[in-house]
This record gives sequence, C-alpha cells and structure tokens, in this order.
Amino acid sequence: MKALCWQGKTNVSVERVNDPSILNPRDAILRITRTAICGSDLHLYDGYIPTMEPGDVLGHEFMGEVVETGPEVKRVKKGDRVVVPFTISCGQCFFCKNQMWSACDNTNPNAWIMEKMYGYSGAALYGYSHMMGGYAGGQAQYARVPFADIGCLEIPEGLDDEKVLFLSDIFPTGYMAAENCDLKGGEVVAIWGCGPVGQFTVRSALMLGAERVIAIDRFSERLKMARAAGAEIINYEEVDNLVEELKWMTGGRGPDACIDAVGLEAHGGGVAAAYDYSKQRVKASFDRPLVLRQVMQACRKGGVVSIPGVYGGMLDKIPFGAAFGKGLIFKMGQTHMHRYMRPLLRRVQNGEIDPSFVITHRLGLDEGPGAYKTFRDKQDECIKVVLDPWKTAAA
Amino acid sequence: MTITTNLAPKYGEKEFSQRPATSAHEAVFTLAAGGALAGLGIWRRGWFGGALGAAGGYLLYCGVRDFQRPYQGRVRISCTIGKDRMEVYGFASNPQNWGKFTHAIQVESRGDRAFAFSLGKPAGIDFRSNVEITDQLAGEHIAWASADQLLEHRGVIRFKTALGNRGTEIFVALEYKAPAGPIARGLAALVGWSPEQVVRESLRHLKQLMEAGEIPTTTSQPSGARGIRGAAKRILFREGPSEQAVEQTRLAGD
Repeated sequence: MKALCWQGKTNVSVERVNDPSILNPRDAILRITRTAICGSDLHLYDGYIPTMEPGDVLGHEFMGEVVETGPEVKRVKKGDRVVVPFTISCGQCFFCKNQMWSACDNTNPNAWIMEKMYGYSGAALYGYSHMMGGYAGGQAQYARVPFADIGCLEIPEGLDDEKVLFLSDIFPTGYMAAENCDLKGGEVVAIWGCGPVGQFTVRSALMLGAERVIAIDRFSERLKMARAAGAEIINYEEVDNLVEELKWMTGGRGPDACIDAVGLEAHGGGVAAAYDYSKQRVKASFDRPLVLRQVMQACRKGGVVSIPGVYGGMLDKIPFGAAFGKGLIFKMGQTHMHRYMRPLLRRVQNGEIDPSFVITHRLGLDEGPGAYKTFRDKQDECIKVVLDPWKTAAA
Repeated sequence: MTITTNLAPKYGEKEFSQRPATSAHEAVFTLAAGGALAGLGIWRRGWFGGALGAAGGYLLYCGVRDFQRPYQGRVRISCTIGKDRMEVYGFASNPQNWGKFTHAIQVESRGDRAFAFSLGKPAGIDFRSNVEITDQLAGEHIAWASADQLLEHRGVIRFKTALGNRGTEIFVALEYKAPAGPIARGLAALVGWSPEQVVRESLRHLKQLMEAGEIPTTTSQPSGARGIRGAAKRILFREGPSEQAVEQTRLAGD
C-alpha cells in the first residue's frame, strides 16, 4: 500500500510499504477513505518531537471501512464505516474506566521511554513517534486499529465522510478545551490560535455557554473563519500589547478563561521569542512557550487556563509567580477522545455544527508532502488539509 | 525485607551495595577518561599537571576496579493490576503462564519447587540458573533463591489488595550477583536490558495481559525505508519480527 512516511526533518515522502496485518486478537484493519494532516503533525515535520525514525508512517486523523477483524472483536464488523480516535485505549484499566482515556495504561509497547521522560506513560497514539507507541499512522491506504471494539465509532448512513472525519481528533480536542473552562454561562473566553483546533474551540465555547469569545491569530483568513462563528477577533501583530488589549476589552478584568490552542511551535517577536528560538535551535529545549506566557499573564484572577496545545519537554521563563498570585486553574492534556465522540456525533447529526467548514484543501495522498509545507507555512490560505489515499494524481 | 530461605546464605547483607552494577561501557569510559587526564597531566607538567595526573590516576584506578567488581545489584518494582488478588496470584504463580508475559526467561520444571531458568543465548553463551521456591503462601507471597554459583539471585514477590477497589498491588524485590569477568559482562548485555528493566517490563506485560487481554505490539507493522540508523534502532524499539508476536492467543482470566 502507499503511505506517507517521515524521512527526516521537513522530509516526508510517499512510499510503498507492507499492508498492515492483524497482530493481536482485538485488532481490526481499516481501508482508509479520508485522512487529515494535524497541526501536531507539523511538530513531527519540523523535527521537534524526539524518537522519530526514518520510515515511520504518519497520520492520526483517519476514518474508513472495516475490512478485517481479529478473533476477539465482537462489536465492529466487516463493512462498518467507522471513525477512529487518535488515542488508543484498552477500555479495561483504571484510567479508561474513569473516563481518562488518553491516560490508558495498557496500549503503549514502548511505555518505558515515556516513563523515563514523564514518570508514567499514557495511552499510545497513531503515527506519533516511538515514545508514543510507534504505531503506524493513518496517512495511508490501510491501517491497523488495536482494541477495535473500544476505539471505532460507527457512522450511520447519510453523513458524508467530511462531516465526521474530525471526530477523530480536532473536534473533541477543541470541545474538551472549552469544556475544561468550566463555563456556567456569561463568561468571556480568549482563545490563542485560530488553526483547526482553535476554530472548533471557538464554536464549542459558544455552544457551552460563553457570552463572548475573543479569537487571536495573525492570519486574516483564519480570523475571518473565527469571526464567522461569532467570535471577536484580534490580530496580535496589529496591537501594541495583547495583554493590555484584552484588559481593555474586558472592562479591566481580563478574560474569565484563556485557551492556548497553539502549543510548542508558537510564533512571535521580541526578546522572549529570540530566547526561545535559540534554545530550540541548539536542542536545549523542545518547546517555545511564547503563547503560554501571554495566556498566564492575561487571564483574570481565579480564572482557568486550558491548554489543548501540545508541549513536549521542559519550559523556561514561565511566569509561575503570576499564576500562583492570581490563583489560576490549569487544565490540559491529550484529549480523552472516547468521552466525546458519541455526544459530538449526535450534535453533528442534529445539525448543530457541520465540521467540514474548516477544510480548505482536498488532495490526494501523493500531494501529501507538498501539503505539509503548504499547511506549515499557511500558504494559499491553507487552514485544514484532507487527503484521499485512493485519489491518483491527474495524468 | 526478610526472605525465608532454606539454602545456605551465599552472601551477607553488606555485600549488596546500593549502587547499580557498572556496565562494561561505564568502566571503559572511566578508563579512557582517566588515561586522557593522566596523559594530559604528564604532558603539561607543573603543579596543575600534577593535579590532572592525580585525577587521571584515580579514574584509572576506579576503571580497573569497576572491571573487577562483581555484577550485582538489587531491584524493587511495584505494579497495580485491576483484578482480584487471588486471581492475580493464581495466574502469576502458574509456571505455564510465565512465557506469556516474561519473554526473557524460559522455564523448565524440575520437580515440585525447583525450576531451571534459561536466560536465552546472547552471544552464544547459554545462561541457565537453577532456582528453588523457598517460601510460598497462596495469595500472599512467593520467595525464591538460586541454587548455583554462576548467577546468584534471590527475591520475593508479594501480593496485596490495593486500596479503593483498584485491584492488586504486586511488589517484586530481588537481589542478584555474578562473579567478575566475561560472564558478568555478558549478563550485563543480556537482551540489551538490565535486570530492573526485565522485571519492570514483565510486570507491565502481566498487567496488560490480565486487564486488557493482550500485550500491545507494533512488531512487523508497515514502515517505509529505515536507512542504516533506522535499521539499528529497530532493535531498540523492538520492531524486528519475533516469534512472540505470533503467540497472542486467548488467555486465562479473559
């Protein structure tokens, strides 16, 4: 089959690889119909995530048709059209049973690597480095899905692939980020980052009762998309001091909740940015916490800082005194996918939201390597790329 | 930790240091660093050169001593499994199940409480160890001690009911010692893992097997061209095709 493989920093190529096979009794094999490139894939593309090896198959947002199942798969059947969450969960451990699905104990064969770095290992992810399990990802024509009965979400007839694909990652991620803000109705929520996750966070925050949502980015097409959902927008390159601007806009109080939907590859200028960039360049640090610092500074006293943005390692020069002094609440982590997939599918079925709004580019797998660059550099007003692994390039 | 054993103790408490065993790499590095410093000191002369030489000489002494140090250490790992204590004990204490979660060790039963452990054949040397169960109480603990000179080890596994309905806590504590020389070095390179990692991964696999019904694996899954470095790292990430990958069948307690 064809698959998008990581071959090094900014080096992704389409290669012919073996088809996946059933390795464990609870596996299923999917024929992938649609797959997407995630903002966190860009961290792999830019070489910021350790334990990647040349030849690793990328991709963790995918859906398709079940073509084969292992002997212990009871619920999912051949022919089912399913969406697969990007986290792999066993469903039987303490964490899965307590709805902390992305903290699953039992799915990472390389748990010892994550334990060395973090103390304990969470669930494995598809296509996201060997530290996270080393599973082959979904930017390919077929994929092996472990614990298929727990993972696969069946999609009823009448819903296009494009409407449900984002239940695999970005919609539940944005929704959990908004839910973590503990909204009771009437709040002001500020969201840094209007990429695909940020777009779903904006819409989820409004769904969950926020009175005002302020979306922050520097690309006009992304701000426009956020405004279309009902957010007020700030282009941070056009304001002198973002924290002061937010204070002005909120009657001197600051936003009730601040969401960092940017993560480790934050952009910015100034002394702090120069410091972060140079540390990352010499590999003294994985992350550039530019946005996180602003988020902590801007949030009102006693407010919530919600972090769906991915971070990997040690952070530097973080205003933790401000966080303590203001009594901030921090909520973060990989999305607990299985909590949200069914409820959000119901919202899509009810017509409350059509997730396909975020797609700007529809390409074939062969155009994947170019698409990574386009997506990373935000060229061609790119916001979200969806790939069809079976689409051949026009002759 | 008191371990009941009816074998004559081969070592006292003091002989087990808290420091982990030195690997061959560490000893070689120490010698190299010592040699370099000593050489630099001799070249420089003067009082600073003398200080460097003394430091180098000390490192050389440490390196030589490291090579002569017997391979010994202790391991303490605990793990929580979300199943009832008697069920965990029943599964873990049955020698027929050991091959399912401990891939480093093959077991041959030699009688009621005696076993021969085979630690695989790294570098063509067949490591075998005769072991006797010295103390056993159903649902509570299993203690063992080795019965030969080549690789001395003894340990105890305890089973406790975890608080708050979380299942069973397993505590593994063991001590090991091998005499100095090529055998000790060979043991240190055993399947690339230290004894601590063997115990930790075995417990992890036991937990995965009992809770989820299978051990997660990515062996022989699809991948693109690996390149030279990638091919070498395959071993580290355990992606090479292996016999164990095929043996994921239905299991007790499922």
